[in-house]
Amino acid sequence: MERKKPKKPRGVARYIEGKCIACGARCQSACPVDAIEMNNRDEPVILLAKCIGCQKCLKVCPAGALEMYYTPDEQKILAEYNRAQAGIEAPASAPTAAEWKGVWIFVEQTNGTAHPVSWELLGAGRALARDLGVELAAFILGSGIQHLIPEAFGYGADKVYVIDNAVLKHYRTYPYLEASLQLIRKYKPEIVLMGATGQGRDLAGAVATELRTGLTADCTGLSISQADRLLEQTRPAFGGNIMATILTETHRPQMASVRPHVMPKPDFQSGRQGSVILEEFSLPEDQITTKILEVIPLRSESTVNLAAARVIVSGGRGMMGPENFALLRELADLLGGVIGCSRSAVDAGWLPHAHQVGQTGKTVKPKLYIACGISGAIQHLVGMQNSDYIIAINKDKNAPIFSVAHLGIVGDLFEILPALIAELQNHYAQLEEKSLAVI
Amino acid sequence: MNMNWSRLLFTVIFLVSIAFFARNLYRLFAMLCLGRWENRFDRLKDRMVSMLLFAFGQLRVLRSSYGFNHLLIFWGFMVLLLLNFEFLMAGLFPHFSLAFLGHYPYALLLVMTELMSVLVLFAVAAATIRRLFFRPDYIEASLDAFLILGLIAVLMVAYFGYHAGEIHLGTTIWAAWMPVSRLASALYASLSPQAAEGVTGTFWWIHALVLLAFLNYLPYSKHLHILTAIPSCFFRSFSVPQTVPPLEFEKGNHFGVSKINQFSWKDLLHFMACTECGRCQAACPAERTGKSLNPRLLVHEGKRNLFINSQAMWNGRRIDSLPPPVDEKAMKVSLIGEGHESIAEEDLWACTTCGACMVECPVFIEHVPKIIEMRRHLVMEQARFPEELLRFFENTEQRFNPWGIAPSDRAKWAQGLDVPFLEAGRPVEYLFFVGCSGSFDSRTRHIVTSMTRILNAAGVSWAILGNEEKCCGDSLRRLGNEYVFHQLAMDNLQLFEKYGVTRILTHCPHCYTTLKNDYAQFGANYSVIHHTQFIDQLVREGKIQLRKRVNGRTVVHDSCYLGRYNGIYEPPRNVLRAVSEGIPPLEMPRHEAKSFCCGAGGGRMWLEERAGKRIYLERTEEALATRPSTIAVSCPYCMTMFEDGVKEIKAQDTVQVRDIAEIVAEAIEA
Repeated sequence: MERKKPKKPRGVARYIEGKCIACGARCQSACPVDAIEMNNRDEPVILLAKCIGCQKCLKVCPAGALEMYYTPDEQKILAEYNRAQAGIEAPASAPTAAEWKGVWIFVEQTNGTAHPVSWELLGAGRALARDLGVELAAFILGSGIQHLIPEAFGYGADKVYVIDNAVLKHYRTYPYLEASLQLIRKYKPEIVLMGATGQGRDLAGAVATELRTGLTADCTGLSISQADRLLEQTRPAFGGNIMATILTETHRPQMASVRPHVMPKPDFQSGRQGSVILEEFSLPEDQITTKILEVIPLRSESTVNLAAARVIVSGGRGMMGPENFALLRELADLLGGVIGCSRSAVDAGWLPHAHQVGQTGKTVKPKLYIACGISGAIQHLVGMQNSDYIIAINKDKNAPIFSVAHLGIVGDLFEILPALIAELQNHYAQLEEKSLAVI
Repeated sequence: MNMNWSRLLFTVIFLVSIAFFARNLYRLFAMLCLGRWENRFDRLKDRMVSMLLFAFGQLRVLRSSYGFNHLLIFWGFMVLLLLNFEFLMAGLFPHFSLAFLGHYPYALLLVMTELMSVLVLFAVAAATIRRLFFRPDYIEASLDAFLILGLIAVLMVAYFGYHAGEIHLGTTIWAAWMPVSRLASALYASLSPQAAEGVTGTFWWIHALVLLAFLNYLPYSKHLHILTAIPSCFFRSFSVPQTVPPLEFEKGNHFGVSKINQFSWKDLLHFMACTECGRCQAACPAERTGKSLNPRLLVHEGKRNLFINSQAMWNGRRIDSLPPPVDEKAMKVSLIGEGHESIAEEDLWACTTCGACMVECPVFIEHVPKIIEMRRHLVMEQARFPEELLRFFENTEQRFNPWGIAPSDRAKWAQGLDVPFLEAGRPVEYLFFVGCSGSFDSRTRHIVTSMTRILNAAGVSWAILGNEEKCCGDSLRRLGNEYVFHQLAMDNLQLFEKYGVTRILTHCPHCYTTLKNDYAQFGANYSVIHHTQFIDQLVREGKIQLRKRVNGRTVVHDSCYLGRYNGIYEPPRNVLRAVSEGIPPLEMPRHEAKSFCCGAGGGRMWLEERAGKRIYLERTEEALATRPSTIAVSCPYCMTMFEDGVKEIKAQDTVQVRDIAEIVAEAIEA
């Protein structure tokens, strides 16, 4: 007779006195049932009646100030549960290396043009495939996309799997999901990588869920652990305070996504050949509930892409005039970034609206945001306050921008910026000399 | 007119005209019945008074000095009604006359008619000249307008022509009482008796035909207002300007207005009552700064939509019953869309809900509630709204403030200050509702800190809600997101209930109006006071001492949601006089009820202004034209707009923008 499986007790969350660092009520925001209230000292107060023990607050707390509390009875059940689990745990179908082989890269395309992240992933994939001693393949989904096959070979794929079907002409989750699943279930790659773009994020999650496998998103590092041939998926965690390496030990395929511009793009070797597998795929259009009615191209008022920029040098009313934005452009170029602005600059006609950061403009989250001559009213802050590192230059020491800046410089930007630019140019010149000296 | 065939002909024409007119009247009434029910039959005595003052007294028309012209035409028409009635009846029954009223009353009527006819003729001539040579930009020189003026002129001339002929032919005994016609009869002198008879007859027929034709032309022109203006005044709204009705969130209901028949009958009456005078257009901040929104055209488009869709729905069928059948599928033109019979989406979003249009309208058309109802449809049924609003909606829904800042930071401004927090079981006299701007905006923080100083200096019993306070929901409601507004309103009301709040003090006119007028729909039972009223009270009661005199030229700006919405004009001025030892503040040309919006109301604070001149610049320029050293505001939105405007015009070194509370707080410090 089978022993009745004991239900795992959830417990309730409990605040550990004194450990709260007043991070801004992340626990309260994470709670799905509104069971946390913040007291006057910004510490959490758990409403025990409402708590469902989901542990979301524990996981989001950056200071480990919350713990799970089990009543003595619950603790007994928990112990019993763990014992039962240990007995059942041996996974019935641990995938063997023989079953799942190969490193696969998803080649994302829009209107027949491949997204460059796909080629970057092929570069990374080549290293992984070499370490594992397996094949590197690319899989391309779309309609009329066979011209991408030689490109995939050129960037390093040994094999290319293609599904060319009319229902895949424009990206929709369901047909792309079904096509991916068909390929993966049939050919069983051990690793599948996708670019962490809008399309990639949508598809990767859906595929991983259907395959009941793990997915690590936004990886910054991928490597093979030689001992157990596992993919080591490295990504920043806890707001960037630690780097976590994640392993998908018992499920296949191991899936990861990587942001564009993280991996270097490999060199293109034209004329490289490989084998092509054209897969048949049928999915009646009427089974797909999503229809594309209209594709509206982004209005390109200017070619600036603020949302994706990693460095933004931004100017406000303190810049005094449109010609002074040349300074910002110089700095941005040196740092490999783009220029942004606050609403005042757009109102004054110095820059087009596409550069506007703020409440009615863009929300940005670059690695570096330099705010020059921007006072930092709430309407602007709301658009950039989550940037990784904020530098503010303003001659008013009471400007609200300094409340969010990591580094604030109170001074005249017309003195500071040229000095900064000169220093950077000097620095790069010295670097160049040094590297030349080595050769 | 003794010839039988002539009388017969006239009788036939008369009957056909009246029948046609009656049919059109019936159809117009049926159109009204398409709208949903709304109770406007309360306060009958007040309604009678409004009708007398505004419809018969033409009070709003007279606000512009040129309106006197219209007063003449209107009263001329009223007086002429009687004689025209006699005229038509006499055409049917040859000896019909109103002389039975008595010799002198009838004589008086004749004299008045003569006088009014001349005045009307001059008035019409003046109107035509104005329309041709001195036309202001908010008057459209349409064919319709000239046709009407022309027809009226023809009627007056025909009247004199006919009566002059009668006097000449000696067929009337009332010549003594028709001085102008007597003068005109001299023109008949050179004619033979037959010719005179012929000419007189011709004038008679011209008068008769034009009168009947004009009557039937009414429904097809803006002159329809002579039938609909008086009821529109009678059924006016008494709240200034009207807040929109709440919605029931039940499955199967529709939210907002997407089809013409979803408006109430009063809204449909409005569409028919518009005289196209353009006063609303001249007052509209959006239209004046070059946006496509034009309140006059919006009403006109509504009217055309009503006409064309009712036409399509009835399609020549007899309307047997009232309310008439509604075949929504037969509706030809959608209410919201492009073209002359639809209202453009862009227009709907351009409105700042300032209410200037409604205050100017001589027939009490309510533009703003219609716009909000259509916004409700766009937001809640279609999710079609400018993309800047998405973040705003999400933030207010999830974090109860427009900027998405953690609710636990809401009372951070009070740290280190002497600010009491509400505690359950310990009620205070005033709850100071800080609002989102006061809690998070760095400039507005100065206003609430000033309030803190004033409240403590006055020794008032007060407290704030702290982190539990949620956005009042004003912008949400004006933008049409009634659902999230409803949630916030319910949450806030529960809080007020929990803490036994009886009086709410707020510095923001939007919070003021929402907590007072909008929340009242959900059973709010507290009173709300604006900080200018409160400070005014404190000064008069001597509870605060103004030690320092405020020097310099101060110009005062009336916030739309304080002034037009709630009639609060005096308190800010009283306070400004008190701090300057009796010197009143400077006034802008457009002040008090005519105040020009700063541009941030109606949710526009969260939207980008893409067309035309920036509204805030327009108003800032007006303020700076008075050469002030201080611009006094009483609203955080106005504050933000003026601060930006002053910086834009690079006047920040000579002009400062200050809230009334800041001015007073500075003055109470020794």
